[in-house]
Amino acid sequence: MRVQCQILSEDEKQRIHTESLKILEQIGVKFLSQRALKIMKDNGAKVDDDTGIAKISAEMVEQALKTAPKSFVLGGRDPARNVELPRPTAGYVLDLGGVFTRDFKTGERRYATLQDNNDAMRVFDEMALSSVVWPHSMAEGDTPNSNAIRLVLNSFMYSSLHVQDEFSEPEEVPYIYEAMAAILGSEDAVKQRKLYSVTYCTLAPLVHEGGMCDAYLDMIEFEAPILIYPMPCTGSTGPCSLFSNIAMGNAEALSSLVLFQMAHPGTPLIFGDASGSTDFASGGFLEGSPEMVLMTAALGEMARFYGLPNTQQGCQTDSKEPGPQAVMEKLVTTLPLVLSGADLVQGPGCLETSGCLCLEQIVIDEEIGGLCKRIRDGIDFSAAKNLYDDVAQIGPSGHFLMQDSTLEACRSDEFYAPKLFDRHTFERWSELGRPDTYSKARERVEEILATPQKNPLPDDVIGKLEEIMRKADEELN
Amino acid sequence: MSIEDIFQSILQLKRGEIADLVQAEIDAKTDVGVILEQGLINAMGEVGNQFTEGKLFVPEMLRAAETMKIGLEVLRPLLVEADIKPRGTVVIGTVAGDLHDIGKNLVGMMLEGAGFTVVDLGVDVAAKAFLDAAGEHQAELVAMSALLTTTMPVMADCIGRFKEANMNSRILIGGAPVNQDFAIKISADGYSSDAPGAVELAKKLVPAQ
Ligand code: B12
Repeated sequence: MRVQCQILSEDEKQRIHTESLKILEQIGVKFLSQRALKIMKDNGAKVDDDTGIAKISAEMVEQALKTAPKSFVLGGRDPARNVELPRPTAGYVLDLGGVFTRDFKTGERRYATLQDNNDAMRVFDEMALSSVVWPHSMAEGDTPNSNAIRLVLNSFMYSSLHVQDEFSEPEEVPYIYEAMAAILGSEDAVKQRKLYSVTYCTLAPLVHEGGMCDAYLDMIEFEAPILIYPMPCTGSTGPCSLFSNIAMGNAEALSSLVLFQMAHPGTPLIFGDASGSTDFASGGFLEGSPEMVLMTAALGEMARFYGLPNTQQGCQTDSKEPGPQAVMEKLVTTLPLVLSGADLVQGPGCLETSGCLCLEQIVIDEEIGGLCKRIRDGIDFSAAKNLYDDVAQIGPSGHFLMQDSTLEACRSDEFYAPKLFDRHTFERWSELGRPDTYSKARERVEEILATPQKNPLPDDVIGKLEEIMRKADEELN
Repeated sequence: MSIEDIFQSILQLKRGEIADLVQAEIDAKTDVGVILEQGLINAMGEVGNQFTEGKLFVPEMLRAAETMKIGLEVLRPLLVEADIKPRGTVVIGTVAGDLHDIGKNLVGMMLEGAGFTVVDLGVDVAAKAFLDAAGEHQAELVAMSALLTTTMPVMADCIGRFKEANMNSRILIGGAPVNQDFAIKISADGYSSDAPGAVELAKKLVPAQ
């Protein structure tokens, strides 16, 4: 059977649900957006106009859960890379939320450029299990107000995957939709194919932002999927126990679910979580900790409890450098998610608490994903795998290397073939120049970037996207 | 009873004891300046050192700062009488469009512990509000925090406005996406990557009289 790990018992899920409802009903959630407050009020929340706090009933949550779709497809620019949610095995979301890049040539940490975004897209495109990309964050440039548009449109050009954005300004929306219409050939296809989705973070503890919330309500009729992504940090912006931080994060997520379902019933929502734990020595937010993944995996189970697709933060590290800490933290923050059945894991590509892109880390993270999937797939007990006859034929002594079953199986999924591990003898490994995991990852990056992009957009579409970017530069700066 | 007890009560986070200890020193006619410097501020200096060395955790540092403040409240009327002024005034806030405040709060608490008066404008603070508050409180320092690439330019704008208005407050900046190069580029007076560093900078820019 598939290997299954369970973070929460049935009783614990029920307790979290009850606790979250209690938070929503008795403490309430604050909305800085008047529009959101009105929606909550019109749908039965008890709203205090002075504080902007809405108390949300269990019935409202029930109602929202009824209209939220249980499954939908995140369209890939290449339809072959569509992501059906929920998924049988975890897919991965390229995490380029940070501002810095570790320069591939010099190893120096510097502000990210558009080129870094595009290189990362190309590398991630070739990784197995890649599902969704987040564009990079860019600090500099001559066109600060259209940076985000440039990043999204370039992501469409250099990646064939679904693009998910940490949406910032409502003015950006028309340009992005025009670009998708150019890619897909019609406006109808834009709504239908869903090449683009957005991330919505609540402000822990228990607050919904004003401007950002309005921007999401503005674009809700486009029916772009929304990733609900609370980030309470246990010990700083969240209570200092995993249990209560989970319950509060879940309450924030449920309040977002209610808001978007009341605003537009049927809006596709991904019920995600990016909780963190506090580094008590500095107050910093930790993403590479075992506590982080216990919380996000638990909330992945809550998503399934509600029957909703999910994205969970994982495959993360607080390490500043590629190396042992990065690998250990990423492995330990991926495996529980994969084993507990998360749909999407958001994390590959970054070091430094989602702060810094590292191209070779994308390749390392693919390997981590592959290893975790292998554990998840477990032991195949089908009749075809019962090789009793082989055992009988060989009998005591002898070997199985020449059996048909061995020949067949040696390249099958039953035996995971790592791309980066060295399994040579000591002598052969020395002759090869003692390659390590990261040097192999670097070679893979070099190889990908040296070959022409697979699956580029047609020239005329690229021309149209470039025109849209020029227009955005002019009109927004 | 001694100044040492006051110092220790802060290091041992004894929120419930400090008021009585400070009152006892006042009753014993110890110089208020001495109570302030050797009892309260020195203790917070030690707290800062232990924090920098990684020995003290943030929740402990915050409780120490809170303890110090309770002691300071007892002393305050006498400080006013004796005309003893704080080391300087810092106006602090997270810039417009940005709601991240964990780091900013840490920096504020540490500055308070170092003897500065801290005026916290909260989050989403517009350039004009920084300008107004710095004028109103005659702030020697203005500390701005930004955690988003989209809000970093607000810092540059703010510095420009301070220059235009001929304000001589010195400006510190910080936050995860900010670095030294950016600070130089926008002509900030200082940058630090963490809260203890922010205190060092502040002390350098506003030397004790
Ligand atoms: C916690 C967090 C949140 C919380 C904030 C809660 C709160 N009350 O502050 C919540 C969930 C609300 C949040 C929301 C968002 N966030 Co946020 N958030 C973070 C996170 C994970 C940690 C920040 C933090 O608190 N660190 C811990 C503190 C102690 O560190 P610090 O702030 O850096 O402060 C230290 C130093 O920088 C320095 N310092 C700080 N200020 C100052 C000032 C001076 C003068 C000096 C000298 C020093 C100094 O000293 C501090 C103490 O040592 C960061 C990622 C990261 N690792 O930084 C993302 C991050 C900053 N967020 C990000 C984003 C995108 C967002 C959202 C837009 C997400 C969304 N789509 O909704 C919203 C924006 C809301 C808004 N308008 O501001 C991105 C920014 C990327 C970019 N483009 O710039 C980051 C980098 C995450 C990522 N990789 O995607 N976020």
